[in-house]
Amino acid sequence: MATKRDDDDILTGSVPSPEDEATPAERAHAKTFADLVDKTLAGRTPPAMSADDRALLEVATVIRAAAGNAELATAKRDALVESALRQAIGGKAVKSGAVTPIAKARARRAPWIIAGASMVVAAAAILLWFAAPRRVHVVDHVIDHAPAALQDNWKSRPADPLIGPISRDHAGDASARLDTIFADRLDGYRELRMRGGH
Amino acid sequence: MKLITLTVFAALVACASCTDKADRSDKPEGGGSSVTHVTEPNDAIDQKLMVALSQAKNFHHKAKVYMSDGDTASAIASVREILSLRFPPNAPEAEDVRNDARALLARLLVGQGQLDEAMNVVKEGLGSSRESFFTANLYTVKGEIHEARAQLLDATDKAKAVEERHAAIESFDASNKIDKKLQDQLLEPR
Repeated sequence: MATKRDDDDILTGSVPSPEDEATPAERAHAKTFADLVDKTLAGRTPPAMSADDRALLEVATVIRAAAGNAELATAKRDALVESALRQAIGGKAVKSGAVTPIAKARARRAPWIIAGASMVVAAAAILLWFAAPRRVHVVDHVIDHAPAALQDNWKSRPADPLIGPISRDHAGDASARLDTIFADRLDGYRELRMRGGH
Repeated sequence: MKLITLTVFAALVACASCTDKADRSDKPEGGGSSVTHVTEPNDAIDQKLMVALSQAKNFHHKAKVYMSDGDTASAIASVREILSLRFPPNAPEAEDVRNDARALLARLLVGQGQLDEAMNVVKEGLGSSRESFFTANLYTVKGEIHEARAQLLDATDKAKAVEERHAAIESFDASNKIDKKLQDQLLEPR
């Protein structure tokens, strides 16, 4: 006859004979384990249990599955049937919390693919803008060879109209005449500079 | 997402190097500039002309200071500096400024009694082809040199003195002729 101690140590304890009468402790233990198995099959597995109970529970689950009697919960089974029927008549499948359709998984990648493609296009546009040949140089040369029209006062020219005839009395006033020429040419030079010339 | 980021980064690096090469091949040798320059015709007033005019101005003022101090030799040397200034090629102002400096230099040389040297300076200026008020002034100074020579010859050689006075009159006439011609040209309606 198995003792309580033996019953608590089911893996290493002595095995009772088949004709032995079950003790009250064994019965209580069996009832507790049976409840545990029922709850597990109903999807309400307790969050904590002893290591021995867990091992026994796993064995019981494997035996049940091997016997082929495993069944989905009624609600889950109904949902799957409903979804299959909807798909058959062209409707959308009902969402299932446990199963993710392949098409849906692909659909989740779409935003990332669009964002990536947009980045590639933007990068290509920027690179094309930077890599484009600098036509400005060509324009430079064209403009450089095109002489611009100049006003008379911007040109280097004889000083006769500015100075006029030089009387004998003022023949030695070269300094004053040069001051006049310089001031006039400076005006023209400044105008030329301000309009973006030399 | 990491794969996309890495791909874009690699493409940026690769094309950046391509861009560098393209830029280098585009630029003319010696380095090109993207700044657009408006090229002026050769007769535009430029910095070289202004610098030369400014230098000539300073030499004239320097000569005036020397003359006010009675240092004619230094004044002559200062005016001679104007003749060696470098103006832009074909600038009409260069010829005018030099001829005016020659006229002043010749007068200073006359004051120093160096009549032959003064005549050489004047003739050098009159060798230019373009007629101007400045060449007319040179003819005036040439006439003054002939007058100075005539005064020197009055005591020794009357005939040569008369010749010099005739030469002086011819020079003054030449000056007047140029002045009149230029004034008529300036008064003509364009």
